[in-house]
Amino acid sequence: MGFNARDAVSEFWASHISKLGVALLVGLFAISIYVFASYPLDFGTRYWNSPQHWADYPKAVPPAWTQTFTSQKKPIHTTLVSENPTIRTTGIRSIEFDINFDFRYDDFPQFTSFSISELTHWDDPPIVYVSLVRPDGREVENLLEIAIPFPSADAEPPFTKYVNVPFRTYLPGSPVVHHAVSSFLRKEFDMALTPSEIGRTGPEQFIFGAPDDDGEFTTVLKGSYTLKVRFETFHQDDTVDSIKFVVGGKVFGIMGTDILGRDLAVGLLFGFPVALFIGLLTSTLTTVVGSVLGIMSGYMGGKTDNLIQRVSDVMNNLPQLPILIFLVFLLGQNIWNIILVLVIFGWSGLTILVRSMVLQAKEEQFIEASVAVGANSRWIMARHIFPQVAPFVFTQMIFYTPSAILAEAALSFLGLGDPSLPTWGQILERGFQTGAIFLGYWWWIIPPGLLIVVTALCFVFIAQGLEPVVNPRLRRMR
Amino acid sequence: MKLGRSLLMKGLSLLFVVIVTLFLMNLILGATGFSDRMLTALVNDQVRIQRQTLSQTIQDPVELQRIVDQLEETLIQAYGLDKPWPMRLPQMIWRVMSFDLGHAKTAQTFRGSTLIKDLIMERLPKTVLLITTSVAISAILGLTIGTKIATKPGSRLDRFFSNYSAFSYAIPTWWTGIVFILIFAQTLRILPANGMYSTPPPTVPVARFLDLLWHAILPISTLVLALSGSWIYLTRTMVLNTAQQDFVNVARAKGLPENLVMRRYIIRVAAPPILTNVILGLASSLAGAILTETVFGWPGMGLLYWNAIVTVDEGLIIALTFIYTVIYVVARMILEILYVILDPRVRY
Amino acid sequence: MLLQISDLYMSYLTIRGEVRAVDGINLSLESGEALGIVGESGCGKTSLSLGITRLLPENVSTYKGSIVLQGQELMGIPRDRFRREVNWKKISMVFQGAMNSLNPVVKVGPQVAEPLIIHMGMKKEKARPRVIEIFETVGLPEETYDRYPHELSGGMKQRVVIAMALILNPPLIILDEPTSALDVSIQAQTMNLLKRLKKEEHMSMIFITHDIALSSDISDKMAVMYGGHVVEVGTAEQVILAPKHPYTQKLLASTPMLRSYSEPDFIPGAPPDLVNPPQGCNFHPRCHMAMDVCRREDPPTCLLEGGQRVECWLYGDKNE
Repeated sequence: MGFNARDAVSEFWASHISKLGVALLVGLFAISIYVFASYPLDFGTRYWNSPQHWADYPKAVPPAWTQTFTSQKKPIHTTLVSENPTIRTTGIRSIEFDINFDFRYDDFPQFTSFSISELTHWDDPPIVYVSLVRPDGREVENLLEIAIPFPSADAEPPFTKYVNVPFRTYLPGSPVVHHAVSSFLRKEFDMALTPSEIGRTGPEQFIFGAPDDDGEFTTVLKGSYTLKVRFETFHQDDTVDSIKFVVGGKVFGIMGTDILGRDLAVGLLFGFPVALFIGLLTSTLTTVVGSVLGIMSGYMGGKTDNLIQRVSDVMNNLPQLPILIFLVFLLGQNIWNIILVLVIFGWSGLTILVRSMVLQAKEEQFIEASVAVGANSRWIMARHIFPQVAPFVFTQMIFYTPSAILAEAALSFLGLGDPSLPTWGQILERGFQTGAIFLGYWWWIIPPGLLIVVTALCFVFIAQGLEPVVNPRLRRMR
Repeated sequence: MKLGRSLLMKGLSLLFVVIVTLFLMNLILGATGFSDRMLTALVNDQVRIQRQTLSQTIQDPVELQRIVDQLEETLIQAYGLDKPWPMRLPQMIWRVMSFDLGHAKTAQTFRGSTLIKDLIMERLPKTVLLITTSVAISAILGLTIGTKIATKPGSRLDRFFSNYSAFSYAIPTWWTGIVFILIFAQTLRILPANGMYSTPPPTVPVARFLDLLWHAILPISTLVLALSGSWIYLTRTMVLNTAQQDFVNVARAKGLPENLVMRRYIIRVAAPPILTNVILGLASSLAGAILTETVFGWPGMGLLYWNAIVTVDEGLIIALTFIYTVIYVVARMILEILYVILDPRVRY
Repeated sequence: MLLQISDLYMSYLTIRGEVRAVDGINLSLESGEALGIVGESGCGKTSLSLGITRLLPENVSTYKGSIVLQGQELMGIPRDRFRREVNWKKISMVFQGAMNSLNPVVKVGPQVAEPLIIHMGMKKEKARPRVIEIFETVGLPEETYDRYPHELSGGMKQRVVIAMALILNPPLIILDEPTSALDVSIQAQTMNLLKRLKKEEHMSMIFITHDIALSSDISDKMAVMYGGHVVEVGTAEQVILAPKHPYTQKLLASTPMLRSYSEPDFIPGAPPDLVNPPQGCNFHPRCHMAMDVCRREDPPTCLLEGGQRVECWLYGDKNE
């Protein structure tokens, strides 16, 4: 039974499919290593699942590159930061930030938000005035009027706040903003719109828009805008480190965002190593357990054989998904449980196959010779039997990997995945649950599925390439 | 009778599987404390109802409480909650088998009952309808296309379907379903996105049937897409293998017409191994059905599963796991019987 | 003359090239005669049988010549008519390996009855007694009709297959290695059956085997094949007792004799590559009597006394 490694490799490499499979695998691994190196392990719990982290991201918007196909340009998500204020000491001391930016898109921003980072005050907290100067010269005064909260009674100056978590105001949700815009409209355009009406439509449409003949604010006012921020401070040593103004875009990034504003590109990237990990670990464990038990069962016969056969018979006869659901539901949704359960229900199929192969191999003459020479069972099983079944087992392992990945994806889709790890199945589950399909959010639905398919195909291709190596009858005739 | 004996053995071993599953399930339920919680909930349910009825007749609150406490004691004893869970095993097993698991948390039957038993009875036929139709169509496709491409191995049609099979192995069924909805329901708007009937469903029988058909197209297509891939490839492989056998040559030498050779000597002989592989793929067909129901909101048991997971409804999950096992075992049994009928070599 | 084969050629197309399996064969067979075809594996004897019955493989490339059976030229007959009128009715076959010649999921009785139903239009009920009759002839009990192939022993299966070949009473039966998969005692039984059939039913047969001794047991005429050619043909006595072709001589010399003191001979080298046969005589690389002309030109067919024919330069002066 000559298993010539060089022949095997050349046979494997002969077909295009194998090459494609290996190329994909290399790609998957490369991406996974990159992700593993650049993202923290608790990325899931620390960032992905914390809505705070994604607060300033646009919600449920398509990828930025979709713009190239449309004539109407949607706003690109812009984050503006200013760290160099001017300090005015004449009159009331104030710290002033000025941010200039261009807004030349055909659609309004999804939202705007304003954040203050690292503020230190010694006396009464400063008051913040924010206004926006539009390209048409009009100024939305007192767009924001923020009173920084007083420190608690037992605190001592200096009072430093917003170091880790900035003070953020979400403009569309702020009644102050609605009032300011209402006043602005009355003053500049002689329009009477109540703050609640503005709140319903969204203030950005008025802040960044210009009225048409009917008095509807449907056109975007394109041009240069200036955001003027003034902190009126009550102590000469008060400082403000930086401010941030986010103009929420309607497109974002390479893969768009989901309903929580999460950058799908990041989520999808993280899915790579997770998928590979789950797939390879599960299939390796399943293969090891399955083949060891199969060899033992086939070679040792007797009671061992009977026991292993009975057990694998029962396991084989169980419907996989319902039992999986049941077990994960009861044991808890974490990745180790899922892998454990997949392995427990995976080994029996392989055991039965390996056992019949071993039964055949056992009859070979050289096994008899080994026994006659005095080798013990474990030696024979390891040194003689195993190499015979090894090629087949190896192919099965490759072939089982996509099943494991798909099984985990299915579980995640049903909501039984490990919530601390963003996997492609989970991203799809969120999409499905929040009705992304019915809202047409294709960028949320299609890419994760495609990635699952490509990853699974990679292993299928490799397994197909391995088939002629393992099954000599299928070899090409040279 | 040889046929009978081998079937009996198969039947017994499958029955054994159901029993073992029940046993294991309840073992796990007990060990994880779920059975305690469930039974306590059942007891509390009943106590609450009784309290309400009793309060109509007994006015004295102290007296009422005493009777209710006594009732609770009796119930606890009856359900065996005062004993450790291993002693409750036989009782639990019987309870699961008869679906006496109380009420579901949120799901309701069409008539408003929340009894798990009623829910299962209502949803079961819908699941069976979906599965059997899809399997039947996949089988037909598999047999016709599979044999067709086996007659010309290496042709373009052959290569196309071989690749199709490989692809369908890698594509998640449920994702195909989602994409279908996106394309046909959302973008093109020609097929409904979910449900079994429109709301409100038409009353005229013909219209009602057509409505059902219209709603069933996407879910069935999704399932068929998933199942037919492997069926086609399987049939092709088995037919190719069989066609190379000597007795096929003999049949041709006997001057038998080609279609008779095809039917009696190739397909008929390839049927048992095809069936074997179908049996092996049964579990994943079942899984596919569950997921498809979820995606399309098809009111069968798969959707109930989804509902149970979301509402963390243990009783429902147990009942569903059990019945799916039973369905699986029954389907297996049917196929095994079919196999023994088809292949005289296994009758011992 | 029952069968006359003239200039039959058959080749297949493979990855390596065209395999000339049957390379110009001439044979004849009288009614009631048994013609034994002897040769190593790969000499073309099975291809010859497939060529006669027109069971051509998918990759056949050349198929030409003349096959006249009972005065009728078979080569020109269109495919469908051949299937309906010649297959099994005029020529039936017993394939190599009876083990796998029967459909495993159909009872053997109906399988033997099939030709009666299909070719003769008989009803199933009428066919059954005919089959039982044939079973009796080959020595099988009546219950065999309702058995499945896997329930029968190797010898019984062989008899079923022979019965099946006889069912339409064809003028010619071709048997390809009918006994090579059987153990010796069953082999003897089967040979006895065949000899009896030949004598009592006046059966004409072509008996293909690699075992020259076995062939001599039943054959009236014997043809030795090598590399797609018939290198020698004559009566059994002529070929066995007075072989003329060096190959036949070596073949006989390599048969171990029970009571002989000399060691068996062997033929050095390997069978010829049928894609690129050697120039001149196919056998010359292994021939112990090869001459110069053998390496250059194809040997002629030479007619010797008693009707014996040889394809060899040694007898070049007796060229036909």
